[in-house]
Amino acid sequence: MVKKILIPVLILGLTSCQNDDSSSYTEVVDLSERLYAGGETTLFSVTSNAYRTPAPNLSNEDLDMHLAGDVDFESVFVTAPSTINQGLGPIFNSSSCISCHPRDGRAGFPQELNNRSGLLIRASMAGTNEYGGPNPVPGFGVQIQNQAIFGYEPEAQYNVAFTEITERLADGTTVTLRKPTFTLSETYIPLPGGAMLSGRIGSPVFGLGLLEAIPEADILARQDINDADADGISGKANYVWDPFEERTMLGRFGWKANTATVKTQCAAAYVEDMGITNTGFNLETGHGQSNGNDGYGDDPELTEEILNQVVLYCRTLAVPAPRGIERNKVKEGAAVFERIGCTSCHTPRQQTGYSPVSALANQTFYPYTDMLLHDMGEGLADGRPDFLADGREWKTRPLWGIGLTELVNGHTNFLHDGRARNLTEAILWHGGEAANAKNKFKNLSKAERESLLAFLESL
Amino acid sequence: MKKRVFSLSILAMASASFISCSNNDDTVDTDVNEALYTEVLTDLTTDVITATYNQLNEKALALKTAVSTLSAETTEANLMAAKTAWSATREPWEESEGFLYGPVDTGGIDPAMDTWPVDVSSMNAILNSNQAITPSLIAANNEARGFHLIEFLLWGENGDKTVDQLTDRQLEYLVAAAADLQNNTQILYDGWKPAGGNFGANFINAGVSSNLYPSHKAALEEIIEGIITISDEVANGKIEDPLNSEGGTPNAQFEESRFSNNSKLDFANNIRSIQNIYMGDYNGVDGAGLTDIIGASNPTLDAEVKGKITAAINAIENIPGTFTDAIYNNRPAVATAQQKVAELLTILQSSVKPYVNSL
Repeated sequence: MVKKILIPVLILGLTSCQNDDSSSYTEVVDLSERLYAGGETTLFSVTSNAYRTPAPNLSNEDLDMHLAGDVDFESVFVTAPSTINQGLGPIFNSSSCISCHPRDGRAGFPQELNNRSGLLIRASMAGTNEYGGPNPVPGFGVQIQNQAIFGYEPEAQYNVAFTEITERLADGTTVTLRKPTFTLSETYIPLPGGAMLSGRIGSPVFGLGLLEAIPEADILARQDINDADADGISGKANYVWDPFEERTMLGRFGWKANTATVKTQCAAAYVEDMGITNTGFNLETGHGQSNGNDGYGDDPELTEEILNQVVLYCRTLAVPAPRGIERNKVKEGAAVFERIGCTSCHTPRQQTGYSPVSALANQTFYPYTDMLLHDMGEGLADGRPDFLADGREWKTRPLWGIGLTELVNGHTNFLHDGRARNLTEAILWHGGEAANAKNKFKNLSKAERESLLAFLESL
Repeated sequence: MKKRVFSLSILAMASASFISCSNNDDTVDTDVNEALYTEVLTDLTTDVITATYNQLNEKALALKTAVSTLSAETTEANLMAAKTAWSATREPWEESEGFLYGPVDTGGIDPAMDTWPVDVSSMNAILNSNQAITPSLIAANNEARGFHLIEFLLWGENGDKTVDQLTDRQLEYLVAAAADLQNNTQILYDGWKPAGGNFGANFINAGVSSNLYPSHKAALEEIIEGIITISDEVANGKIEDPLNSEGGTPNAQFEESRFSNNSKLDFANNIRSIQNIYMGDYNGVDGAGLTDIIGASNPTLDAEVKGKITAAINAIENIPGTFTDAIYNNRPAVATAQQKVAELLTILQSSVKPYVNSL
């Protein structure tokens, strides 16, 4: 009730500020409607807690469950046997959810690849598994665990080498990009030839319930697989096997949209990242491997109750509101964002339909993603297919909250493996379907580029 | 993070946007306020936060020495001295939990120093192996390091360890674990101090040249969120989980520092962390704090906050006996302490934060 009364007051406040200096500016994009970036789940508090606050409109019952999930999300697992939090590993990447999603946000590119970090490496062989998904590497599976409980051998150690690529902008500015190539060493058994590797960085977990509740038809309506409208942008939905539903479903989560639901995303992370078996994945990730069994018949190690709490938690974190949208520079940046074609894939507006969580139902929100796969060119290609996503395709990332990355997480590393060191580098990595937009970015004046960055920082 | 009270945040923002418009014709008051905000942010950064981390690092160095002495000369007196040094290190750590942002978080220091629960199986496997126990071995076994691992080895699972029960391997582990802990306290202190990572500059230069905080109020909001977070954690996590683990039954397994029976002191020191930030005082240095901002214009709220802080500390300290015993045998006293901390949380969240935002 309080909030509903205050909305007009708030908008009035912003409007009265902007009038002073915007007389010569023709508004191209109306940002005021985007203030509620997460609809009624929007958070208006700008601190390092901006990604990890419950949506303000949760029912009491959902809030209780969210808070229980919060504890679970931070719980550290330990070696079995233990009176609490038993079951880490035996091979794993990290020991808690929060360690790869710090403050529920984005992990940075690690300084030491084999310390605990938010980076992991996916792996697969050519071909597919029985469900059309990645074909596991014999003896390694689809993810390389570079940690193990004491007395067990990790699957491998990670190594990275960087290749530098220089981009020159129209005004003469040069930007040096770094392209990581990952390799493995100290593998516990020889790595089969032909194994494809692809790095992944933990990404923010707020707003996921809204993305999950976008009606499938809305996402499919934006598909243009054969580029029938000849705008150079295709957009393709991924269809993936879901172990809970036991059917093929629209992929929504993961860097290649290889997961259909928040629940499957969480359950897969428990087993693959932490070695915690659960109702979706009842076998240790390394089952059948010499380093894969902990010798305890305690599976599933995670109760369905805890899994459901964590799932609700990830579905119902508040979305931070944009900041400074009354500033001319930000508005100009929004216009540039639209003019050079970013919105072709980074679709600003989405809506939810029905959701079993009342706070998420029928919301209009602004994630800046079309939820579809796009060919992003050779520079970003990992050459590793995942269901219908080929080695050059990636799902459009949501951009909401991106301007708070440094405040929340202390870095500005972006993209699937954290290679970009700032937003400019991230933009310059765009290729393939996004090559036109990227080239237009390169041809912007310095002032226009700064406006575009100011807009992104406002998100 | 856990939180239950939200509805006023929008009010705060709406008010803030009005103020940003009206400031233009009220420059004298604004300058006075801004000068005070700068003073508060500078004092809190230097005299409270960085000073607490300095103290933590000094105490960790002393713990490292005490453990080495215990290893060289394993006597009951040296065991007692090592326990005392652990508790002395624990104090500034708990007093730093009102500001768990910056390097402690972005550098992964918190999980490296204060991981919980102790991975006892991993610890035993390391003890029973023939590998040299070094800081780097411990760093590779993240769940078997830090404060609670050292606590477990010094006190034993039931808090009754005697010096003759300390094995050579345990002493080797203690020496490595204390060195590993101090490596991290050093990184943490260096991350804040001006001659190091200088994270504190983000607060001192808020609104001027800070990358993170575009205004004084943004920096103050971060600081207030920090004390809200820890009051919430104490009330709804640290006390709630052991007191009401599964629908109202106590479970000491969920208690934070149960081997040393230090939990009550941990919780009280968490509230002192709030007190230090609110008052701007630490370790005998009397600086400017949030009280100087609020007290100047709303003495009623200021007095109320101070009263809630004191009441919370007193209620925690008034829990009879050990916390472990109290969750079973003095549950009303624990519930009262929890209630007092919850009241502090409520006033910080529902009154202090919106009030400062609206100034």
